[in-house]
This record gives sequence, C-alpha cells and structure tokens, in this order.
Amino acid sequence: MECGKETKAASLTFSNIVTSRLGGETITSCYQCGTCASSCPVAKLTDKFNPREVIKLSLFGEKEEVLSGDSIWLCCSCYNCQERCPQKVEIADIIYALRNIAFEEGYIPNIYSEFASAILNSGRIVPVSKFIEKKRPDLGLPPLQSAGVDAIRKILCATGFDKLQQRKEEGS
Amino acid sequence: MEEAKVGVFLSDCGNQLSKILDFNAITDYVKKVPSVTLIARSTEFWRGKGLQAIMDAIKGGKINRVVVAESLPKLSEVNIVQAVENTGLNPYLVEVINLKDHCAWPHRNTPSEATEKAKAMLLAAIERAKLLEPIDRLEFPALKSALIIGGGIAGMQAAMDLADLRFEVHLIEKAPFLGGLAARAGRFFPTDDCAICIQSPASDVKTITHTSRKCVYRSGFSEIPNLNILTNSKVVSVEGVPGNYKVTIEEKPRYVDEIKCVGCDLCTTVCPVEVPDEYNAKLKTRKAIYMNILNVYPPVYVIDGYVCKFHDCAKCVEVCPTNAIDLDQKSGQTTLNVGAIILATGFQEFDSSVIKEYHYGDYPDVITNLEFARMIDSFGPTGGMVVKPSDRKPAKKIVMIQCVGSRDRRWNAYCSGICCMISLKHAALIKSAYPDADVTICYIDIRTTGREHEYYYEKAREMGVTFVKGRPTEVSRDPETGRLIVDVEDALLKRFLELEADLVVLAPAMVPAEGTKELAEILGLELDEDGFFKEYNAKLRPTETKLRGMYLCGGVTFPKDAPTTSLHAHSAALKTAKFLSAGKIVKDQRTAVVNEEYCGDCEFCPVTCPYGAISLEEITEGHFVAKISDLLCEGCGICVGTCPVGAIELRHSTANQIRVQMRALMSINGTSKPLVLAICCSECGGAAVDSSGMAMMQYPANVRVMKVPCTGILQVHQFLEAFKAGAQGLMIVGCKNEGCHYEVGVQKASKKVELAKILLKEFGIEPERLRMFNMVFIEGDKFAEAAQTMTERLEKMGPLQLMGGS
Repeated sequence: MECGKETKAASLTFSNIVTSRLGGETITSCYQCGTCASSCPVAKLTDKFNPREVIKLSLFGEKEEVLSGDSIWLCCSCYNCQERCPQKVEIADIIYALRNIAFEEGYIPNIYSEFASAILNSGRIVPVSKFIEKKRPDLGLPPLQSAGVDAIRKILCATGFDKLQQRKEEGS
Repeated sequence: MEEAKVGVFLSDCGNQLSKILDFNAITDYVKKVPSVTLIARSTEFWRGKGLQAIMDAIKGGKINRVVVAESLPKLSEVNIVQAVENTGLNPYLVEVINLKDHCAWPHRNTPSEATEKAKAMLLAAIERAKLLEPIDRLEFPALKSALIIGGGIAGMQAAMDLADLRFEVHLIEKAPFLGGLAARAGRFFPTDDCAICIQSPASDVKTITHTSRKCVYRSGFSEIPNLNILTNSKVVSVEGVPGNYKVTIEEKPRYVDEIKCVGCDLCTTVCPVEVPDEYNAKLKTRKAIYMNILNVYPPVYVIDGYVCKFHDCAKCVEVCPTNAIDLDQKSGQTTLNVGAIILATGFQEFDSSVIKEYHYGDYPDVITNLEFARMIDSFGPTGGMVVKPSDRKPAKKIVMIQCVGSRDRRWNAYCSGICCMISLKHAALIKSAYPDADVTICYIDIRTTGREHEYYYEKAREMGVTFVKGRPTEVSRDPETGRLIVDVEDALLKRFLELEADLVVLAPAMVPAEGTKELAEILGLELDEDGFFKEYNAKLRPTETKLRGMYLCGGVTFPKDAPTTSLHAHSAALKTAKFLSAGKIVKDQRTAVVNEEYCGDCEFCPVTCPYGAISLEEITEGHFVAKISDLLCEGCGICVGTCPVGAIELRHSTANQIRVQMRALMSINGTSKPLVLAICCSECGGAAVDSSGMAMMQYPANVRVMKVPCTGILQVHQFLEAFKAGAQGLMIVGCKNEGCHYEVGVQKASKKVELAKILLKEFGIEPERLRMFNMVFIEGDKFAEAAQTMTERLEKMGPLQLMGGS
C-alpha cells in the first residue's frame, strides 16, 4: 500500500516535469497505440529502445529507469514516429526533453559527454584533422571556417550548460 | 390601465420561518408600502386553502397584482401562476419570491438581519409587481405536414411513424434509390439480420401482407398513405417559420418514367456504356442505365446523366417495351409547404486515401469496411466471395486495421463508435464462410459497449480471429511477390510483426455526409466542431435543434449503429408530432419588443440573436428598424443587452422593472456589512442560489439576490446603476459558459463585465467590486462561499466612493 502510494506521487511529479519542459508538453496525449514503435527504425534493430515504452514508463513515473538507461540516447531523430502519431504526440521532441532532464540529473553516456566537452573546447563535435583539411579541396569543398568557439561558449554559458558539463566531468 | 392593487401573501412554512424572521415587523412594514391593499399570512400559498385565498382575493376584486413569498422554487411558482390564470387575471401579473431559500435559511444565524433583508425583498417584489403588464397568449398556424431529408434507415423510420400518425410526409433522397448507407452494409449487428430489413411499420399495409417482420422495401413502404417519396432530389432553399416552412426542392431527371417502367431489364442489355459501379465498391461495372440492388425503391431504372450518350445512342429508347425512357427530361423544381423538417442525411466513410502510409486508393487490395461489406454480400459484386480486387483470386489472409482517421487528432479526434463492431462482424462472417481464412484485427482498443456487442468479440476469438494490439504504421507491398505487408508492433508481446496480407480492410472514421455544410447553411442550423449537426441538448432535448420546428435523427448528430438510429428516428418523429399535432403553436408573448423611434440601422441585434428571431425591415427609404418575430423569440433578452441605444425591451423584464427592483433591494441594509447585489439568471445561476439556501449554507444577509431571465440581458450602464443604487459590490451569476440556456447569453455577460471593469477603473472605482460567476444547481456551496468572500473583500476595501458622494 505504502509502495503504491509512493509510485503514484512519483508518477505525478515526473510526468508533470516532462510536460513542463519544452518539447515534452504532449506526452499525456499518448494512448499507447504503438504507431511510433512500428515506425521506429532503431526499435527494429535493438530491443534497447522502444519509443512507446519510453513514454509509458515516463507516464508511469519510472524516472530512474527512463533517465539512467541508454534508451533515450538511442533515438536517431528521424521524426517518423512524430509524423505518424495519431494523437499528435511529439515523440522525438519528448525524447529531447527527457535527454535534457537526464543531463541535468547527471545522466549522460560518456560519448555524449565527450561531444559536449569538444563543443565547449573547440566548437566542434568532430575534431578537424589534417587529413580532413587536405581532402576537402579534392572534393571541391571550401576550406573550413573557424567554428566561432567564443560565441558558442557564450551561449552555452548563458544556458548553464557549461556548469552542468563541468559537474559531469568532475563526477566521472 | 387600472390602478395597481397589490396583494402580498406571506408563507411561513408551517411557522418554520417565523422562528427566524419577525413576521409582525415585516407585516407592519409591508402595510405602509403604497398600493398594497391586502396582506395575508399562512402555512403555504402554493396549494390548498392558501392558494384558494389568493384566488378569492382576485375574484373579489380586492387585488389585481399578486406578490407571493413561497418556498419551493419553480414548483410553487408554476402552481400559483396557473391558479391565477384560472381566475381570469393575466398570469404575468404575479411575482413569486422565495423568502425561505433566499433569506431565512441562509441567514438563520442572524435573524434580525434576515428580517431587514426580507423587508427589502418584499419591497422589491411589490415595486416590480406594480410595473408588471399583462402579456398575451399568441397562436400561430402549424401545418400538419413534415419534410424528411434523407432516405436512409433514419429517414424511413421517421417517415413511417409520422405517416402512420396521419401527418402528410414528404421524404426526399438525394440518390436515385432509397436505402442510404444501411442498404449497402450487408448484415447488421447485433441481430445479424439482413441490412435492408427493419421492423415494418404499424401501418395498414402491414395488416394486408400479414408479416410481423420484413424489409422496408417489401413492406410496401412506398404505399403507406400520406407518404410522398421523392428520390434524386435535394433541398435548394427553405423559407418561412416553424409551423409553416416553404421548401424548394430540385428534382434531377431520372430519364425513366416511374409509372411506365416495368423493370424488364432490356435496357441494360443494350446499353453500350460501362462504368465502374461505385455502389459496389467498383468491384464490378454497371451500365449507364442501371438499378442498384435487388428490391430497391423505386423499382425502376435510372440513367446516369454524366456518362449516358443520350441521343447519340438511344438504344434503350428503341428497346423499351413500355416507352418509359425520356432522354429529354429536365430537372424540375417543386415547392412544399410543411410545418416541420427532420434531417436524416446520415454519415459516410472518411476518405482514407489522405493517410498516405496505408496506400488506400493506391494499392487495389487495400479496401474499406463498406467496400468489404459489399464483397461479402451474396448479392454483391463478387457473390459473397472474399477476393483480392487486383486479380480476383481468393483472399486467404486478411488484415483489418482499426481507427483509420478516427481517434486521430490530425483528422477526426473522436471515436466513431461503430467500427469495432463492424470489423468484428466482418471477421466472424469471413470465418463462418471460410474457416481456413486467416483473419487478423489490429486495434488500439476494442470497444463493444452495446447490448450483445461483447458477444461478437467473444465469437470472433472462438472462431480463431487473431488480435494484435497495435496501430500499424504502414502498409507496404513486396515488390517481388506483390503481397501486402502490414507493419505493426504488438504492444502486449512487445514484438514487431510484419503481417502478410492478401487483403487489407481499413475501418475508416465515420464523418458527416457530403453536403452537410451546405444543408446547414440552407436551414440556418449550426454544426459542431466535428462537422455534425448540433443537437440542442443530448440529455434533455435529443433530436431537437435550437430552432423549433427542425429536428435531427440518425447519423447527422454522430455515427450510430442501426438500433440507435431507429431509436433516434422514433424520437424525432414524436417530437415533430408533438409540435404539429394541435395544428397551431401556442406561445406567450414573453418576447422582446423594439421601440422603432430609437432603433436605427446598426444591425447588432440580428447578428446577436441566437434564434434568428430578428430581421431588419426598411420603414422609410434607407432607414431600417429591427423586427422581432414573436414566434422565434425565446425571450432571453440578449438583444436588449446588445442594443446600444436601449431601443429593445423584454415585455416580461423591462428596464424600469429591473431598476425599481435594484433600488428596493438596496434601500434597506440592516447589517453592518457592505451591500452586495447578486444578479443571477433564472436558469443554472439562479438554481445555484436556490440550492445554497435549500441546503442551509450560510452567507451574510447583506447579499441580495435579483433574478433576470438571462444574464445576457444586462447592460454596462445597469452595473453602474446598481452601484448608484447603493450596492458596494456586484455579483453576476450565470450558467456555465458552455451550458447557457440561451446559447451565448452568459458569454455576452462575461464580456460586458470585463468592459465594465475597465470603465469602473476609469472612474476610480475598484474593478474588483464587480465579479462574474458561472454556476449550476449542484454548486450552491460555491455561491455561499463567493458571497462570503465578496463581503469580506469589500469590507477590506472600505466604502465605495462615487462622484457626487453616495
């Protein structure tokens, strides 16, 4: 009984947290028809990710399970699910919202953390190697411009991203 | 007008009220009010001896205005008014107030304050009574005839009822044959009988053929006396008023004489034009001259004017043994005079081709439920065989997809309600004809809520139908084998399935029939957000519209199964019969009236009136005044509240009456608290006030209640007048926004309250002194609480400062 009560209270809070986030507003419209899951190219390759399940777990208040797992980081943002959802649930956007919450709570896979550091430090996710610079003219591409790392850093500082990332780095 | 002699009758509810109210003080006070010629006190006045006393006083000529303080809201009023009318006095010269629920009960803890409030309430009633004017009873003609638009199951049922009740009935159908959607459905759930069978009418025709149950076509439907059937016809225009409509009908040419044609079928054998047969889901072709199915009405052929080569061919004319074919027939117009109109235009399948991922219209083997219904009909295009339309080979694996375009916010957010049953019925029919067939239903939720509906679900499971809980994302086609693949996740198994299918059957949403919008415009009726016709009130006034004289039945209000459609049709027929049976419409002139001297050209009121009762009439060149139809006016007063020059008044609630009431209610305080005037409507808002008193919920006696027909009658200057009269705060209590008894009255009132708040601010008055509330009967506690809060807030605010100091 006690346990049931707790789950209910937790579920209220977590789905409220998601709906209050940019992109997460439509989560409560989901009626679990599974159109998203059958539209999902990732879900068909791995059973680690199923958008319908992510939404159900979120609505059920399983915060830890949703945020700490790999699942939400596997979405490839093709938006097929969102396009076909009959309830206009913005599934891909909800997953972004969940990723943001996860990041704030200190959950982020290392690879993404490394990306984040790279952006903060160099303005780019993928470091530009000599090989790339050499190859570009052969392909008829112009030389790469500076990434504008100062501007990027300014924006990321303004949003508090840098502090969160710092915390993550210290933690790990 | 004779001088007002007011009789005041005070009920003490078996001495219950006198425990709180000081009746001697009240009587002494009322005695001194001018024009009061009689005061009486008794246990009750709404029946028995008390009521007799009122009647005797009127008959004896002692009084010509009646004020009664009674206790039971509405019930007492209705009884007293009827009794007064029986004495010969006009029933509108009566004012009934409720001293128990509006004064004694809610203020039982402050008896002296309640007594002072009672005095104010009685003064207000007496002052209003003095200004009451007699109101006439009007009669309007009502033709004992009805037009029914739509010859499907709903229209036919309603037509039978009304014709059997000896009304003159005109049934018109847009298509060349009667039957509508129902006739195409093959079989019906939950009775499994053939779709074109419905209970036969209780008409004379039945006694001749001696069958208790038969299809409408064989029941001699067309031979029912007083029933005029027009096929191939549509409504062009409607004029007139309830009870007397003039309807113009356009009849398309059939090119075949209905009387001469004997249905010999020679014409179709010679006709060279062959086109896909829409009626049969294009699974077969038909000729340019054709008949739909067996046993249709009318049992004569029709020529499709879009494809016929007419005089370039004329082979049918040559071969016709009865000379029934006339290729020169033109469309004609007829005018019908009817008292009422019933709409029964039904619904249709949603166009599934807009959901691209299912490839309907693109892959021939993806079909809809209705098309499938034609396929399994043994009189249908395949003779009941389940085949793949692409190659006509038998279909062994059938996948059904539910909720196509319904429960889908991109198209139709609602659940169509009948598609689960249609699919279950189809699945069972396939399994009983072909036990080896592999049938899968992909569903989100299975909804089998009706009588015996769950049995179909049970039967389908027993027969081996597979159920997959999941809405498929896509239907694709294997490029090599050409087989369809339905891509779906079974949420219960958490497994992705690629279901192979010979035939995919979609269960599309059911949407309003084509032409619904145009028809609504012609008739002046409103559609709801889903495009269906708006029923006046599904609970209390089913099948009615906001216009008296126009009724709805069947799928026009929402998709319905056959049993519900029949019920709805019978209801509409009964309502129509009730409306027309007296041959006249009797209505009190409780209506709005225009002062033509002030009225001029602004066009606000005709637009605002929810009932279309106001028109503009040119009285001198270029000068228009509003004319109000006493027949259409419902007496709400929304036009009064809208008129910018105060040119409109309600006969039963004039501006003067409202003014004297306000002043009287504010003339005595008797408490140390700031006076609050609560103006409530006579519907839900008033009922909330009543119920708070009936339940003895307590609020302070400085809150005074005044009723108006609808809060929509109020004007901004009246709010100011209330403050001027001494109110420190003003509560406007109306119905819920979506539940206003006069459609839009309370919304108009809310807007005026907002406007008045701006104005008050301009004058340095706290806008918080004015508040709008929306309540219903069961929210009496809300009213008591609001009255209490309002009083406390005003006490904090301090006295109202008006210019000129009051």
